[in-house]
Amino acid sequence: MRLIKHLWPLFFALLLIYTFNRSWGVIPPLGKLFNPFVGFLQNAERNPDTGNGEVALEGLHGKVTVWYDDNAVPHIFAQNDDDLYFAQGYVIAKDRLWQMEFYTRVAAGRLTEVVGPGALEYDRYNRRIGMARTAAAIADRLKNDTVANRILEAYAAGVNAYIRQLSDKDLPVEYKLLNYKPEPWSSYKSILMLMNMRHTLNGGSNDSRITNVLAKYGPDVVAGLFPDYPAIESPIVPQGTPWAFSPVAIPAVPDTVTAPPDTGLFAFAVPEPHPEVGSNNWAVSGSKSATGLPILANDPHLQLTLPSIWYQMQLSSPNVNVYGVALPGTPAIIIGFNKDIAWGVTNTGSDVMDFYRVRFRDSTLNAYWHDGAWKPTIRYTESYRMKDGSQVLDTLFYTHQGPIVYHKKQSTNYAPNIPVGYAMRWVANETDGADVLTFYYLNRATNYEDYRKALTYFTAPAQNFVFSSNGGDIAIVSNGKLPLKWREQGKFLLDGTLAAHDWQGWIPREQNPGVKNPPRGFVSSANQFPADTTYPYYLDWRFAHSSRAIRINERLDAMVRATADSLRMLQNDNFNVDARRILPRLLVSLALDDSIRHSAEYDALERWNYRNDADAVGATIFESWLGDLLRGVWGDEFPASERLLYPSLDRTFELINHEPGAKWFDRVDTPDTVENIDDIICSSFKTAMAELRERFGEISARNWAWSNVKQTRIMHLVPNFTSFGRTNVMNGGGSGVVNATSGKHGPSWRMVVQLDTDWPVAYGLYPGGQSGNPGSKYYDNMIDRWAAGQLDTLLFMKHADEQSGRLLRRILLTPKDR
Amino acid sequence: MLYTLILLLGGVSSYFGPWWTIAPVCFVSCFFLPRKPVPAFWTSAFASATLWIGYSIYLHLGAQTDLTSRVAGIFTAGLPALADVPAIALVSIIAACVAGLIGGFSGLAGVKISQLTRPPRG
Repeated sequence: MRLIKHLWPLFFALLLIYTFNRSWGVIPPLGKLFNPFVGFLQNAERNPDTGNGEVALEGLHGKVTVWYDDNAVPHIFAQNDDDLYFAQGYVIAKDRLWQMEFYTRVAAGRLTEVVGPGALEYDRYNRRIGMARTAAAIADRLKNDTVANRILEAYAAGVNAYIRQLSDKDLPVEYKLLNYKPEPWSSYKSILMLMNMRHTLNGGSNDSRITNVLAKYGPDVVAGLFPDYPAIESPIVPQGTPWAFSPVAIPAVPDTVTAPPDTGLFAFAVPEPHPEVGSNNWAVSGSKSATGLPILANDPHLQLTLPSIWYQMQLSSPNVNVYGVALPGTPAIIIGFNKDIAWGVTNTGSDVMDFYRVRFRDSTLNAYWHDGAWKPTIRYTESYRMKDGSQVLDTLFYTHQGPIVYHKKQSTNYAPNIPVGYAMRWVANETDGADVLTFYYLNRATNYEDYRKALTYFTAPAQNFVFSSNGGDIAIVSNGKLPLKWREQGKFLLDGTLAAHDWQGWIPREQNPGVKNPPRGFVSSANQFPADTTYPYYLDWRFAHSSRAIRINERLDAMVRATADSLRMLQNDNFNVDARRILPRLLVSLALDDSIRHSAEYDALERWNYRNDADAVGATIFESWLGDLLRGVWGDEFPASERLLYPSLDRTFELINHEPGAKWFDRVDTPDTVENIDDIICSSFKTAMAELRERFGEISARNWAWSNVKQTRIMHLVPNFTSFGRTNVMNGGGSGVVNATSGKHGPSWRMVVQLDTDWPVAYGLYPGGQSGNPGSKYYDNMIDRWAAGQLDTLLFMKHADEQSGRLLRRILLTPKDR
Repeated sequence: MLYTLILLLGGVSSYFGPWWTIAPVCFVSCFFLPRKPVPAFWTSAFASATLWIGYSIYLHLGAQTDLTSRVAGIFTAGLPALADVPAIALVSIIAACVAGLIGGFSGLAGVKISQLTRPPRG
């Protein structure tokens, strides 16, 4: 009794320590987090710009100088390439460790380990599309590639050198909040980062939804409403450019082109492609520029996040001196420039994800029928570890095409039924090539030939690599592995039993669409069709809507004596090509309705100058209405509940402008009345305006300003950490305009490079900051300048001893004796 | 005396030790500087809370970016009632509760075990 009386405070104190040491559900470990000596307040930076220093690191061969400039951009000067990539890994990890590790957990389907079972379905999907398995195979294969292996290993060693230095109090704040610790880095994880990008850029498909259309309406309607080339387009390779190659034999179209699913098979939906994920790039030749040498611009559009997807840096060794943005977790510069050349990328977006209906022999799913024979499936067991340590197991089957993303298990009642699922062939699961080498060689390229050689290493997903050199060349190539297909192969769900439905090899790489020094004096891309219908190979039936491409090409066509600022202004161009194309016709119909014609909304729309500027009320009305208009035209015949694909914007606009009597304007859900195009236009307008009034009040210049309605926001990667994000970013733009800033997507890096025979001048900026730490002033410091459409002048140093008032501090990395 | 000792020892050792370092500091201090249980509890609790709140405010004021509000925002996201409370106040309250409870009971444990090993004369 006396013992208990004296010992209970001790036990209670220990119990308290235990309680505050661990997380409980979503509540983080309060003790660790709120202790100012180790908790989150350790991440609140006092003054990041002071403190030259020296760090001894095991694994370095020589000294490395890292200068940080006034935007916290590191300029790394190493004496050899191994040290360069080591230092790159070290320096990026210092700013972005949590982020890069988080991405690899996403790609590997391992989020449950740090956030718990809530992420299981997401993890399961990411595992079932095969990303981790492919990344492991690529990493394994690259071990035999001397160059790739060397840079990946050096980079990983640099990241690990940083991780080893970390004590609890130094951990990025997300680790403290989510209560876990970083794992060692490896070249496999760098590949996972690239897999994550493959998924972002190419991880969607409309195949099932258009197959549903085919099943419901037949081939004639599909041909009429879902044509293989838009009515209005401005392709990447200018129309009329001759193809300087003899094409290889193109596979013949088989009798059967699709194998539609039985009802209800798609219990687990493949995401639709994200139209907001796109990009712009272009280069003008010396004939169009004020300097007489090319100027290049690029702005990749991705989901806007904090920390930012990009990280600016300069990498310099005796073999290379390059500046640009890197993907945290991956060596080399992905988009950038050196003394002689500049390059940028946009997503090509061709059809590289197809689905094959598989016929299994029996419910064990052990064998499937293909090309007249039963072939064995490969079976994997995936295990998912939860945050509490428990495990969930999942079985995954592969055919030769790829993973069966979804298989529906039949009840074992001895019935002779054949379980059916679809196998996915996806270019992201190709394991050849070495994408990282493309960037390694681009970083070192000095001319067009170097650029073309660098491109040969790239696999997926195909990117439109724009290029310019101070030798005066400009070029663009849709580069990457493009499957050789029969016309419309993979437009619909395919039949996995037919050999003719397999991908038939690849388009010879040198025959990918591309153009060098075209007579018009510029090259450009905005995810549109790479080539017109004269291109001999089938790439896809649908690419990004042509509006951005049309505007870019119009402006570049008209440009003379272009400067870097002309290109910056084009990146921020808010002109709405769609409004110019369709609004005059829509206004004619609206004017027929008196109640609309006399409304303030109509008045604002009519007076609108087609620019999606931040203060434009007309842009708000047009953009908000477009969705209702599409639903008005297509919602009855293509109801969302039946998972049918809508015809494209291009097709809809053509119908409105040129086929006003089309039967599609009559609503099939009102059998007693015949609606015409005017009815649909007016009623959808009223619906949209009612919704706007409900959300933003009566029309006013402030409440209905486009920036206020669009509400651009840049949120943290963890959805629950809303206070780590930035909302109410006031700017113009829109998914269909060159300044492609929508609510959550937008230009994730804007760069303009003016080449010079002596030394290039470059500008750039991204919507975030160099630091991944929400407690740093460099976490989001570029956002306001980004929203205003400004660019920073980039400090591209010639050598480590260069003097500049913008260099704030220097860190010396030195080899540590073992 | 006890208060100052915990503050000093706690400050120095927390700088190097794990987050719960304040517990052994309070325990040992109260073990060797015997007090009556109730004052031992409160002195330890107040000293621990002072240490955590003081250093928190110091770091908060010295920072160029208001990380305190960002982190507090995660906790108050679903609680509009707390939206107007200054973030550093919320953080200080939580820090005081955690440090105070752990410090207080550790101090109490120190006194109690000291009584156990050195039974009162008489």
